[in-house]
Amino acid sequence: MARDEELICRVGVGDQDALAELCRRYERPLFHFLARHTGGRDVEDLYQETWLRAVRAAPRFDPSRRFSTWVFQIAVNLCRDWHRRPPPEPVEADPNLPSTTDAPEARIDARRILAALPEAQRTVLLLRHYHGLSEEETAEILGCPRGTVKSRLHAARERLGQLMGSA
Amino acid sequence: MLAHVRTCPRCRVEEPVVRALAAQLAADPGPTPPPSLAPRVLAAAAPLLARNARHAAWRTTWPAVARALAAALLPLPAILVFDVALVRAIYALLGAVLPHGLSLYLVVNHAALLVLLLTLTYGAVPVLAARQARLLLQDGHPHG
Repeated sequence: MARDEELICRVGVGDQDALAELCRRYERPLFHFLARHTGGRDVEDLYQETWLRAVRAAPRFDPSRRFSTWVFQIAVNLCRDWHRRPPPEPVEADPNLPSTTDAPEARIDARRILAALPEAQRTVLLLRHYHGLSEEETAEILGCPRGTVKSRLHAARERLGQLMGSA
Repeated sequence: MLAHVRTCPRCRVEEPVVRALAAQLAADPGPTPPPSLAPRVLAAAAPLLARNARHAAWRTTWPAVARALAAALLPLPAILVFDVALVRAIYALLGAVLPHGLSLYLVVNHAALLVLLLTLTYGAVPVLAARQARLLLQDGHPHG
């Protein structure tokens, strides 16, 4: 089976099958990341734009990098742009978002708690604890030092502690 | 890591919070991407993929095109000198037997034909060179 990095290099020379395979592998993680980051709004548009940016940048992809880190970096940048878009609306979870979960209460709680975090802290928390990326990978995706990731995580956990205590 | 959690007071306080959040997130499988999403992404990406393919083809063929153009331009000064001399000789020859206006008309027509042929020839060089390079690459014989 071809590695992700080989596939994105093939996308860089116009291989549609390679793109289809990458989409298949990353469909759920990327979609979930975007959904949790934005509270479920504009997820499909952001998902599509993530892949379009990836295809556009594929010819310049450095094969020594990890594809997963690279594509999440694109998604994080898109989420940042999305959060900056006017008019500023309060970030709140969309309870009508379609889901297959069997535990709706837990789903809504997790979403509300995540939505209540500042964007930077939410990103760190999602990448570290939901997508299981290391501190180094998270720092690379966010383009910040590892210490910043640690401090944001700490702040996020403190805030979570307050939120979960009051829930 | 567990040893660290046992000894670090800050992490010991945070650990249950992280555990609880992990449980919350684990209980939430998240929204399911609609089945139409992947085909839509692939359709939207098709023009970009085609552009990538064109650029990749150009990156691999341009050295061959440059070499072919350079080789074709080398004899151009000699061809131009020869053509000018030929046109002048024809003009002199025609001027001896035909009225001036008619010989000028014929010579200008001949010169225009020569310019057209040269333009077509040199215009075809990069096209043919790129095509040849692509064919060689497809056959597995990298050019140069």
